[in-house]
Amino acid sequence: MKESLMDIICCPMDKHDLELEVDDRNDEEVLAGTLVCTECGERYPIEDGIPNLLPPDMRD
Amino acid sequence: MTERERRGEPASLAERRGLETRVYQPAEDSGLLAKAAVERVSGLVLEVGTGSGWVAETVARETGARVIASDVNPHACRQARARAEGADERGGSVEVVRADLLTPFRGGTFDAVLFNPPYLPTDPENEWDDWMEAALSGGETGRKLIEPFLDDVGRVLAPDGVVLLLVSSLSGFDEVVARAERRGFAAETVVEESYPFESLSVLLLRR
Repeated sequence: MKESLMDIICCPMDKHDLELEVDDRNDEEVLAGTLVCTECGERYPIEDGIPNLLPPDMRD
Repeated sequence: MTERERRGEPASLAERRGLETRVYQPAEDSGLLAKAAVERVSGLVLEVGTGSGWVAETVARETGARVIASDVNPHACRQARARAEGADERGGSVEVVRADLLTPFRGGTFDAVLFNPPYLPTDPENEWDDWMEAALSGGETGRKLIEPFLDDVGRVLAPDGVVLLLVSSLSGFDEVVARAERRGFAAETVVEESYPFESLSVLLLRR
């Protein structure tokens, strides 16, 4: 995901801002990391460049 | 023989159709939605339920829009992301997010939201047991995903934002329009085609 996506996405549970933790990136985008809700603390993984913003009870 | 058939259960929709079992591929409905969108959208666009990513990529390539493509299905997300690499010829782009409908998107964000929903009315006992069925089935009424989408889409639209929603006669055209109007939208049919078992329309919703 591009970092500019942070202006578009929010926590699916409470709509608060997310904080980006980067584990791996290239020149264009974040390939692996975590999005953390600044309010409820829920953690959403970014894998292969795709953020998984499903609510926790809908994850695989 | 599939696992379900061994258990003596009816084949799933995908098995009956004998198609790819994980990701919905572009069909007539996708073509109608893309046609309606290419003529009308620009700026920041969300496509909900992108499937293969074909509509998102077409809109980005033809209009230069920045398209956010979302799907609940991880296989669809990966296909859409792979397809997105061809979208940047005219400055357009496609970015993929795995999401449940509109839930992880900020309020007041999008110039346009596109949705070709799962709309086939399905027997409640025919449970969703593969990703293709989830891509096709709209529950008993055909409106299981259309209704929560209409209830929340106003939240994510920018002030002059519009919605383009594909509607099949199978899921009740009048009921969909009534739901949209209750949510404060004016609905206009911008594309309409008849097929042997259904007619498909694209509704343009504005506030």
